[in-house]
Amino acid sequence: MFQFINTLLIGITSGAIYALMALAIVLVWRSTRVINFAQAGQALASTYFGYQALQYIDSFWIALIIAMAGGAILSALIEVIFMRILLKHTTSGAIAGVAPIIATLGLLEIIRTLVTLKWGGADVIVKAPLSNTGFSIGSNTLVFSPMKLAIIAVVTVLLLVFSVIFQKTSIGLSLRASAFSPELARLAGIRVDRIRTLGWAFSGATGAVAGLLLVTNGNGSLSPASLEFSLLLISGFIAAVIGGLESLLGSVVGGVALGIITAFVLMYISDSLFFIAPFVVLLLVLFIRPQGVLGKKGGRRA
Amino acid sequence: MKAFNRRKLVTASAMLAVTALTITTVPAQAFSPKSEVGVSANEIKLGITIPMTGAASPGYNKVPAAMKAYFDYVNANGGVNGRKITLVVKDDQYVPTQAVAKTNELILKDRVFALVSPLGTANNKAVAASVNPAKRGVPVLFVNTGFSGFADVKKYPTTYSLLPSYVMEAKIMAEYIKDNFAGKTIGLVYQDDDFGSDALAGFKTAGVKFATTVGYASGSQSATTAAGWVTKLKAANCDVVILFGVSSATAAGLGTAAALKYAPQWILGSVGGDATTIKAAGVPAGVLYNAVGASFLPSTTDTADEYVSLFSGIYAKAVPGSAFDNNVLVGMNSAFVTVQALQAAGKNPTRKSLIAAINSKGSTFASAGLLPLNYSASSHVGYNGYWFGKYSPTGDLKPDGGKYTLYTTDSGSGAVVKSTYKRPAMPAKGLPN
Amino acid sequence: MHKLSNKARIAIFIVLGFVIFLISNRVDELRVYQGATVAVYVVGIASIILLTGYSGQVSLGQGALLGVGGYAAALARLHWGVSVPVSFAIAILAAAAAGALLGVAAARLSGPYLAGTTLALAVGLPSIANQFTFLGGEQGLFYDVGFPPASLGEDFTQYKWFFWIAALATLLAIFWLQNVMRSRYGRTWKAIRGSDIAAELAGINIARVKILAFTLSAGVAGLAGALLAMTIGTVSPSAFPLALSFSLLTGAVLSGVTTLGGVMIGAVTLVAIPEIVHSVVDRIGASEAVATNLPSLIVSALLIVTVIFVPNGPVEQMRTKSKKVKSL
Repeated sequence: MFQFINTLLIGITSGAIYALMALAIVLVWRSTRVINFAQAGQALASTYFGYQALQYIDSFWIALIIAMAGGAILSALIEVIFMRILLKHTTSGAIAGVAPIIATLGLLEIIRTLVTLKWGGADVIVKAPLSNTGFSIGSNTLVFSPMKLAIIAVVTVLLLVFSVIFQKTSIGLSLRASAFSPELARLAGIRVDRIRTLGWAFSGATGAVAGLLLVTNGNGSLSPASLEFSLLLISGFIAAVIGGLESLLGSVVGGVALGIITAFVLMYISDSLFFIAPFVVLLLVLFIRPQGVLGKKGGRRA
Repeated sequence: MKAFNRRKLVTASAMLAVTALTITTVPAQAFSPKSEVGVSANEIKLGITIPMTGAASPGYNKVPAAMKAYFDYVNANGGVNGRKITLVVKDDQYVPTQAVAKTNELILKDRVFALVSPLGTANNKAVAASVNPAKRGVPVLFVNTGFSGFADVKKYPTTYSLLPSYVMEAKIMAEYIKDNFAGKTIGLVYQDDDFGSDALAGFKTAGVKFATTVGYASGSQSATTAAGWVTKLKAANCDVVILFGVSSATAAGLGTAAALKYAPQWILGSVGGDATTIKAAGVPAGVLYNAVGASFLPSTTDTADEYVSLFSGIYAKAVPGSAFDNNVLVGMNSAFVTVQALQAAGKNPTRKSLIAAINSKGSTFASAGLLPLNYSASSHVGYNGYWFGKYSPTGDLKPDGGKYTLYTTDSGSGAVVKSTYKRPAMPAKGLPN
Repeated sequence: MHKLSNKARIAIFIVLGFVIFLISNRVDELRVYQGATVAVYVVGIASIILLTGYSGQVSLGQGALLGVGGYAAALARLHWGVSVPVSFAIAILAAAAAGALLGVAAARLSGPYLAGTTLALAVGLPSIANQFTFLGGEQGLFYDVGFPPASLGEDFTQYKWFFWIAALATLLAIFWLQNVMRSRYGRTWKAIRGSDIAAELAGINIARVKILAFTLSAGVAGLAGALLAMTIGTVSPSAFPLALSFSLLTGAVLSGVTTLGGVMIGAVTLVAIPEIVHSVVDRIGASEAVATNLPSLIVSALLIVTVIFVPNGPVEQMRTKSKKVKSL
């Protein structure tokens, strides 16, 4: 029984971090119709921003906000300097459809290399603000700690903030309108370009949170070569697909679902299925319910 | 019009091929026919391939600098028979394709005399198959892997192992468990590839029974997956847990267990047992306290040891600010043995004389190792045993009872026995002659 | 539209083969080894051009398909002792079968979904080798194509033998690919790439065509995998990393995905850049960290510049320009 509960908790926590990455992916997708594979690199760079901030100030939470700001600026710059030119130049031709995918992969490599040159290849430590020691019930210890609670709280707060922005504010309305139909939005007087940049900035900030929480959820070690950020990108993408790629709530549901499924597979089937399990989940979703768990019908021929 | 262009394309492609293959051709360096490749009047050139970047690089990327530090020390003191040793370093990113490409560069372009300490099982296997150093007569000194196969003289006549094999380590660890933790419930965390299966084979030979085993996929180790391992080990009520994985897995396992208030008796395999690397990955020293660890070299903090004191002094000067850890010690010790092999190869060393020298005199080489080197014409096995100890409150591995007790065995079904070997004194100033 | 006749094409390929043969006799062993590597890249890149350039689909997991081919070739030779050409054929068939499966999934997916799925495949598939002992685990399996025949003489090196095999296989593969692209299928694919809807209106079964494109592309990738396994003498999970998939895609973009004509450009760039960078860095004496990281920085920057400014590749660019000049 206790094993079962702990497996569930492992799944929820890792799922919460996948969910953040999925949110970041969906925010860009909704604003630009691009899957930004450089997101893993941006999250890595933002996490290093947070690490750098922690060298000067003591508060993790302020460092988190600095990392978010840094991630947002980086992401906005990428959109303005890079994506706009890219999309303008590749409106037609053989690779128009895949050019952004390829270009963001190149960008991923560039960011990773620059981070290595700036901060070096060795591990650095980002200290967690809260204890990672699990809560005890009797003689048993839960895989749940103050830090993990904080992670879940942060994900919930971010989701709420985004819901409010998207549902209740004029910015949100513009974001949704631009995503639905840029031409119509432009006719309605929305400055589509600016709104798109804003979407990227939101995404960059979310990715920064995902990166910092990923690191502090563990032993706090961070290095540019770490496989964990690449895996985060893939998990985030799968989570976003489960959620239907359009819906914010969907990506959170997708993230948590993926986290829980993976945790149970590793616990009760085999630990060595780590790389296979998410891929199988992805294929199952694509075959059984291609519009995603919360997505509307309409296929995936975007 | 179209046809014209197509022809132009084909011509362009062909010309590109020609340019690519010829323009960049580097004229072969002129060596007088008498002297050996990579040996000149004042230089001996060696080469190493090792991951300097990428996920597998942390820890290992300190090895080349450590080796260079010792070579430079020798060079500053007259070199080997008046020749300075240089080391050409190539980054293989732990990818076999890269290892083959870079080894080809080392042998065919840089024209090194011998390869030293190339790292990784799959990489060395690919290099052996493709580059075929044996056929070229190129010595491969002291491959940096515990895979026992490379000690096979018939298959790899120019390759020498240095590290004890994983099978040996598992068998000796089993003996240690029998002596110290008889009757306890034992769990095992291993990497689910041949590194782990070698260990499983060793434990099986020694008849160890596990309450549960956790085989993680290489690259999947993280705090999150480790929470799963710990939950499993706890559910099986393990009192003793062997972590037989790479450093990042050891760090993830120890850190997560501490967070979950799970404190079995830990036993760490030597591959993932380097305290500096574990601490750099964010595990507090206190968590390591009292864990059992194994090594065949003296403890890196044992400054009373003449080798450790000399090597750490040299390293501190050569690479200021970098911690003297087990990777550094292994690298410097390999360099130390290499220098002796070069000395033994004669006034004008050739690849043949180098191999002959290791085969005939290798077992008498001095080294920091607390076990003998087992080189002969029929054996390319390096060290063949371990001592056990516990980590101190500051996270340093110290031998049990302050004294190194060494066990020795083979990679087959041979028994585990206590070693009676006494390490000879270090050559004066650490300079073999 | 006038096209080169088949006879003329065969003549060109024979001349090309002869030129390669002459070169292989003149350069040193390191260059023939690098030549073999270029051949592996050429075939791998061609497999992506076939897929992306002609049917508009993208695969970020081509490295995994190379892996399937490499392992199939190695297993066939180890267990059944088949000859080298037969092992190549088995590699092609095995990878094509895997590609067909992937194609079935791909037919239902578009751009970003397919990209993410193939990316997950590239990460997941190699780890399977560790699950089954017959796949040899992390250290992998040997794949030995044997020594060059004694009749070629004592001085004939192993790498020259590899290069001959790789070059011949590459020429045949490219020739065959050109045939495919000039065929009815090739035209159909181009139609799809232009517009799914238009193609559908013209009565083309898009799903079936996409699956076929994926299958053929995977078969070619399988050949590249067998050639790669030959040059390193082994197959192992770490020989087919994510980085390989990215390199091939980069090479395809640098070559230009719309035509096979530039396929050499990407392959040569991938092999030459690290070497050029190193010789430059050695000369100016930059730090070790810069030296190890610079090649990937340059290659990635080239990739982005190409995607933005020469999206159809240098060859297509040249062609369009000369067309414009002519029509003036």
